[in-house]
Amino acid sequence: MTTAFRTADRPAQPPSERPAGGLARTLRQRGRRRLLREDFLTILGWASGAAAVALYLADGGAGQFTNVTSGITGLGIIAGLIGTDLVLVMLLLAARIPFIDAAIGHDRAMQVHGKLGKPALYLILAHMVFLLVGYGLADRVNPIAEGISMWNDLPDLWLAFISTALFILVVVTSLVAVRKKFPYEFWYVVHLLTYAAVLTALPHQFSEGQLFAPGQWQRWYWIAFYVLVLLALLRYRIWAPIALTFRHQLSVSRVVAAGDGAVSIELTGVRLEELTGAGGRFFIWRFLAPGLWWHHHPFSLSADPAAGRLRITIRNLGRGSAALMSVRPGTRVALSGPYGLFGHAARTRPGLVLVGSGIGITPLRAILERAEFEPGTATVILRASTPETLYLRDEIAGLCQQRGATMYELVGHRARRGNAWLPRHQTGLRLSDYVPNLAAADVYVCGPKKWTDSVLEDARSTGLVDEQLHHERFDW
Amino acid sequence: MRARAAAGAALASAGILAAGWQAGAQAIEASQVTGVTTSGGTNGTASSGSGSSSTSGSGTTGGGSRAASSSALKDGSYTGAIESTRFGNVQVQLVVSGGKITDVKALQLTDAERRSQMISATAAPILRSEVLQAQSGNVDTVSGATVTSDAYLSSLQAALDAAHA
Repeated sequence: MTTAFRTADRPAQPPSERPAGGLARTLRQRGRRRLLREDFLTILGWASGAAAVALYLADGGAGQFTNVTSGITGLGIIAGLIGTDLVLVMLLLAARIPFIDAAIGHDRAMQVHGKLGKPALYLILAHMVFLLVGYGLADRVNPIAEGISMWNDLPDLWLAFISTALFILVVVTSLVAVRKKFPYEFWYVVHLLTYAAVLTALPHQFSEGQLFAPGQWQRWYWIAFYVLVLLALLRYRIWAPIALTFRHQLSVSRVVAAGDGAVSIELTGVRLEELTGAGGRFFIWRFLAPGLWWHHHPFSLSADPAAGRLRITIRNLGRGSAALMSVRPGTRVALSGPYGLFGHAARTRPGLVLVGSGIGITPLRAILERAEFEPGTATVILRASTPETLYLRDEIAGLCQQRGATMYELVGHRARRGNAWLPRHQTGLRLSDYVPNLAAADVYVCGPKKWTDSVLEDARSTGLVDEQLHHERFDW
Repeated sequence: MRARAAAGAALASAGILAAGWQAGAQAIEASQVTGVTTSGGTNGTASSGSGSSSTSGSGTTGGGSRAASSSALKDGSYTGAIESTRFGNVQVQLVVSGGKITDVKALQLTDAERRSQMISATAAPILRSEVLQAQSGNVDTVSGATVTSDAYLSSLQAALDAAHA
């Protein structure tokens, strides 16, 4: 079943005040600024690693590589410095700092965070092994005996050994294969041990690390780095959610059915106009009711914040969401956000293509509501296996009509061969067949991971570049 | 754009590493200059120590003061045991005069690495003044120089034991 209708003949948009091509220029500049920030962050990340090594070099560390024993020790120290630097960078990436979120988005930040986990652990292990061997050689004992004597004789070193064990635990439980075996909450609690690992690693760096001994300027750099990370975490992970929650005083006003197995939760609060334009981006929600408050859920808005009202549309996808289906009106709600680049800030081109599948359709509804585009330059493609799971279909059709966007509904089971994101009877078609001027458009894709990847692959094969492609994983 | 980030990251990292290297080279050079003077000084004390050849502690007027107090020290100079650490050997010489600790000389200090020399150079005077003030080996270790401090105090203890004997 495929329906397509075009309603560009009656644009309800007020005539644009921008001169022709103005939108294209604005969006191009916006995209350029964002990429500049992204590149700046990339450079900063690498530079911090180089700086960690430079601290050591500036202290004359290069002069140490004169014999095997002290060479091994030197390598161990460098591994520890870079490993610790990576851990601090990982904490910054997870701190939900607005600058980082606006540059690369929460998803990418967490992806990089995840990628750094194993290298950081390997470096910390190398730090331990190399120093045990290096010091062992100097003391003429084997590394294990050296380790025992360090544990017994040196202050703070037993803490460092505990820290290494904690880091191993945190990284192992985060490996995809292991993570799937345990409930999310288990992984989450173990992941909190990262803070214990960072803290237990701290004392030995300053009491045993000669590089950071009192009187060394390197000590101040290292302390400043730690303080920066601590402040970022306090400010954005702890203070920001509390402040936002008190600012908006959200509570559930009603829960309405929204198609097969899904509900829309509407919330009222104060000063919600400040969240205007957050449509498509996600917030982290905590429903403050018995049995619910300790779960937090990342949900995108399914409508742009209107006067005094927020709305999310969720599907029964897990234990947590199931309980939410019957949340009582009047329940108070804590939130933090908005996060992610799945919104207007990521635009780079005048055209707009919104492609969504299943419950992933809902954030597109919110984006469509306020997105900047000229009538006739936007396309909305909704994908579902049954018509009942074309969530918010009628609302979206209404918005398309009002704003002059083209809408396609692709319903049916997935194709076995060819373009996997399309229904079976549509194989052979491509994204560019639905969107005439694809090259001049931003493509927003939201749906299950595999399906999303398939749409993105299709778009890339047409020559679209990454800055035009925006996606949000939405299979939780 | 990604090329810009890669080029920027490479340049920034190379620049930072080069600056660190340069600063390090200067630091090594500076330490070699001071290294010569410290080692000269150490040689001086070492030779004077061996000149007095009082390893076993040849007290001259210690008898009276020992009678006054059991913890009294016999006058003389006493060389402590050689303590070896992963950063090098440490050995101190204790000078007792009038039953009091009047000086602690470092005969050998950790010097395996350039940074160890620096640490030693900072830690040794602190330890010396603490020992002179406390008139015993019961003093705090210098933070950031734990290994050196421990070895210094162990060596000192051996010398003190000899002085008590």
